[in-house]
Amino acid sequence: MHSDAFSKCHPAVNLVFFLGAIVATVLIVHPAYVLASIAGAALYYMLLSGQKGLKRILVLLPIFVFVTAVNPLFNTYGDRVLFKVFGRPYTLEALLYGASLAGVLVAMLLWFGCYNAVLTEDKFTSLFGNLAPALSLLLVMVLRMIPNLIKKGRQISGSRMSVGKDASNGRTLTEKISGGMLVVGTLMSWALEGGVVTSDSMQARGYGTAKRTSFMIYRFTGSDGVLAAVIAALLAAIIAFCAKGAASAVFTPTLDIAPVRGTNLAGFIVFVIYMLIPSVMHIREAVQWNISRSRI
Amino acid sequence: MKKSHIAILIVFLICIPLTLYFGTIAARRSFYLTGTLVIIELLVPFFMAFEGRKPQARELVIIAVLCALGVASRVLVPLPHFKPAFAIILLSGMAFGPESGFMVGAITAFAGNFFMGQGPFTPWQMMAYGAGGMLAGFIFQKKLLPKKPLIMAIFGFVMCVVWIGPLLDCSQIFLMLSEINWAGVAASFAAGLPVNVSQGVCTAIVMFLFGRPILEKLDRVKIKYGMMEDADGI
Amino acid sequence: MEHFKIEDLNFSYPTAKGKLSLENVSLTISKGEYIVLCGRSGSGKTTLLRHLKTVLAPHGKRSGSITFNGVPLEQVSERDQASKIGYVMQNPDDQIVTDKVWHELAFGLESLGTDQKVMRARVAEMACYFGIQDWFHRNVADLSGGQKQLLNLASIMAMQPEVLILDEPTSQLDPIAASDFLNTVRKINIELGTTVIVTEHRLEDIFPYADRAIVMDEGRIIADDTPRNIGKLLYEQKNLMFAAMPTPVRVFYSAGGKGDCPLTVREGRTWLAETFPKAPAVTALPVSEPDEEITDPVLSLKELWFRYEKDSPDILRGVNMEVQKGSLFAIVGGNGAGKSTTLKAICGICRPYRGKIKIFGKPVEKYSTGELFKNCLSMLPQDPKSLFVKKTVREDLEEMSKDKDHVAQIARLCQVTQLLDSHPYDLSGGEQQRAALAKVLLTDPKILLLDEPTKGIDSFFKETFAGILADLKAKGLTVIMVSHDIEFCARYADTVSMFFDGQVLTTDVPRRFFGANSFYTTAANRMSRHVFANAVTADDVAELYRINTGGSN
Repeated sequence: MHSDAFSKCHPAVNLVFFLGAIVATVLIVHPAYVLASIAGAALYYMLLSGQKGLKRILVLLPIFVFVTAVNPLFNTYGDRVLFKVFGRPYTLEALLYGASLAGVLVAMLLWFGCYNAVLTEDKFTSLFGNLAPALSLLLVMVLRMIPNLIKKGRQISGSRMSVGKDASNGRTLTEKISGGMLVVGTLMSWALEGGVVTSDSMQARGYGTAKRTSFMIYRFTGSDGVLAAVIAALLAAIIAFCAKGAASAVFTPTLDIAPVRGTNLAGFIVFVIYMLIPSVMHIREAVQWNISRSRI
Repeated sequence: MKKSHIAILIVFLICIPLTLYFGTIAARRSFYLTGTLVIIELLVPFFMAFEGRKPQARELVIIAVLCALGVASRVLVPLPHFKPAFAIILLSGMAFGPESGFMVGAITAFAGNFFMGQGPFTPWQMMAYGAGGMLAGFIFQKKLLPKKPLIMAIFGFVMCVVWIGPLLDCSQIFLMLSEINWAGVAASFAAGLPVNVSQGVCTAIVMFLFGRPILEKLDRVKIKYGMMEDADGI
Repeated sequence: MEHFKIEDLNFSYPTAKGKLSLENVSLTISKGEYIVLCGRSGSGKTTLLRHLKTVLAPHGKRSGSITFNGVPLEQVSERDQASKIGYVMQNPDDQIVTDKVWHELAFGLESLGTDQKVMRARVAEMACYFGIQDWFHRNVADLSGGQKQLLNLASIMAMQPEVLILDEPTSQLDPIAASDFLNTVRKINIELGTTVIVTEHRLEDIFPYADRAIVMDEGRIIADDTPRNIGKLLYEQKNLMFAAMPTPVRVFYSAGGKGDCPLTVREGRTWLAETFPKAPAVTALPVSEPDEEITDPVLSLKELWFRYEKDSPDILRGVNMEVQKGSLFAIVGGNGAGKSTTLKAICGICRPYRGKIKIFGKPVEKYSTGELFKNCLSMLPQDPKSLFVKKTVREDLEEMSKDKDHVAQIARLCQVTQLLDSHPYDLSGGEQQRAALAKVLLTDPKILLLDEPTKGIDSFFKETFAGILADLKAKGLTVIMVSHDIEFCARYADTVSMFFDGQVLTTDVPRRFFGANSFYTTAANRMSRHVFANAVTADDVAELYRINTGGSN
């Protein structure tokens, strides 16, 4: 991954931002807002993953079309009937509602994509180290064991192969399944046996002798505080505008979508700013880097 | 009263009703968000109970091994859609009791998603897997059903088709449908059925052929190291 | 001042039916001492070490007393024991708990509830002292075995222990990583004054520096003296442990040397130089001329090229090799030189993108997998545990062959008959190795591939293993072995081949091969090369010494 300013912030700030973005996206079905959320998420996603990101975004297109088209089949409210399917009306209102929901889904998936790239497992576990020490330790241990077990599993498969009992060259389905499960079963014994050493090693280093503290590899800095305050203020503003109906949108039975002008426009702008936070930070860092380089 | 018991009361008497109320009134029937919140609120007391118990090193290690095995097994069986993870979760519940079964399920789902990508379905999956492991623990530890291969296989199949699959389908229904009505729900479940059935068959095969040997292995560990004696019940 | 005081410790495991695993063990360990504990596997070393930390002490019947700093150990709180008594175990992988290097370093401190500020300082200190800064943020899964073990050590040192107990810490490491690790331990002892108690198979690196060596046998302490005296004592007692002594010690006594025994290669060189001020009459042992043309190659590799990914660097860069039928062919070389990959290529686990592999003159791709691994080729993997899939050794062997007589015969050959009803995981490292070998041999291979067969095995098991290999050779098997253990190769191989950078550099008989090297060679050769031309094992040096001094022991 390229250097990304938002990823370098404290994980708590990352988490709050993504929670805010995802919850706001789920709750607001106003087409303009949905588009803004998609745009913000897609832009950031591409900044994070470059060329490959674009491909993955395009994969979402069929999902969008599918969800849009399917919705009117089950929601028959609305006046403007486009045509009939199985004797049931297929209405424009429902189609638009479907498009909006599909947009929400796409935006969410994109935000989750960004979340996965930014909030890596070590950031996530460090967030809950003090709050839930046993759980976060458990999670860290699982994450430690997964690559280890995959490696050991491959070793077992390799050993099976070198005595001519390889699972993947089993001809029938049953041979493949039983070969594979034999590896899994052996791996289980091996891992549980090794687990005894792991638990000894934990106890030898004092696990359970005191209330655990947690080593904070990520520090909450002043700029994290500023960013957190900005995020909180923007979220509060979005809630306030929404409460006043700035983002209200009703599709069925009759279309009633709040126009984006006047005070409503202000609400929309706040929403757009919020969704652009990570992208703006990313671009600003890239620009500053180029300027400082050109000065040398 | 234990902290976790108080938490359960708070969740059931205050949090969930409030969530449902606000979900229907304030958030204008955003079923997905309401549902997800309720699920997260249900997960919290379990996690608090686990924290409160101050698990021993060996208990943590065993749960971690089983979770990691569930995630790793996906890669190790040379068949594309064959996922033994859920069978491993059910067997963990049977061997170590409902509470450990729940933890193995929930953490397998969560940790697996660090590799497959977290998504809108993550909490639902945690709940589905966790509850599956827990139920297996209740039913087979209280000896409501015997640990016989065929019975375990049927149990695994049924759990996949009527519990885990539908619960995951629910999160999709809530996300994708503008109006929740019987036609839509039925269509969604029908669309999800092939996947759920194939998952069920896979789980049943694993339970039938490998359930007993795996349980034996887990029992060997339990006896050899005398752990998890007090793992039943919350 | 005394640190640990053990008095009349007796211990038996619940399953041992009263047989004592520790018998009348009395021992005093002073502050700052560097103690090496040696003995065959199963002599009670690990059992004794584990008694020095209450949470690790095994369950069983126990009598006698252990005090730590004058206080009975069981009265020292678990918390104090956790921080003051550090314990490093054998397996580098299983000891690691968390997924990140920084987190592992902090694990002990987190458990002790250390506050953030102290923790930061300690972790930073440890990272610097152990040279971990460069991989501080890495996943532990990406570390090498040596780095993992160093991390385990650092993580324990972060708690600032007074005593460091190490139970065969380098048995799973390659020689370079092992001596790095042991040097670090020595540095800790010298610079910080931490008491060190270590058990090891590989004594060459630690024996000369230890203050005291303690020898155990059958649960008893049979010797407790300075390393120099221990060598003499074991020689005089004709104790089997003598075979595990460092090369200079073995050469000295088996050659019949008089006076103070050399412990290091340097001392050994001085001793030989003083004995032979002028060049001795006989400087070389006879070397069998290898047949110029290999008459009957069972295996030939031509120009093998291989890489794992399309864009990754080549691992094999034109490997050429021919193996004579019925020989023990050893492949040596550093990490990542392509040794193990070559074995995998021979087995068909990885497919070279260029080059030819011929087995018995037939290209490997013409074999079906069934054919290749039945009566033809078989490989003993590096970790024997990965071969065991059943509950007992017997079931595991019977998985390979239904013929009970055949199983019994192979079990006898590999000396595992008494172990047949044990769970494979309950065996010691050397026993597992032999059981795994039995399993592999049940495919009736004509070519046997061994990947690091001597890893983690003590010198007695190595001799047993070499004996089995000799039996197999006598039956016409060809053995190809990849190893870091040059002492073992020098002693038992017929041909040694050096791998470097994905290619075969040289191939020769051990005497010429190691005789020509000056760094990558055995301790015996390094010790004697200024006097003798091609002495590569302790026996060679002793023999030449006796020839030249006219001694005839």
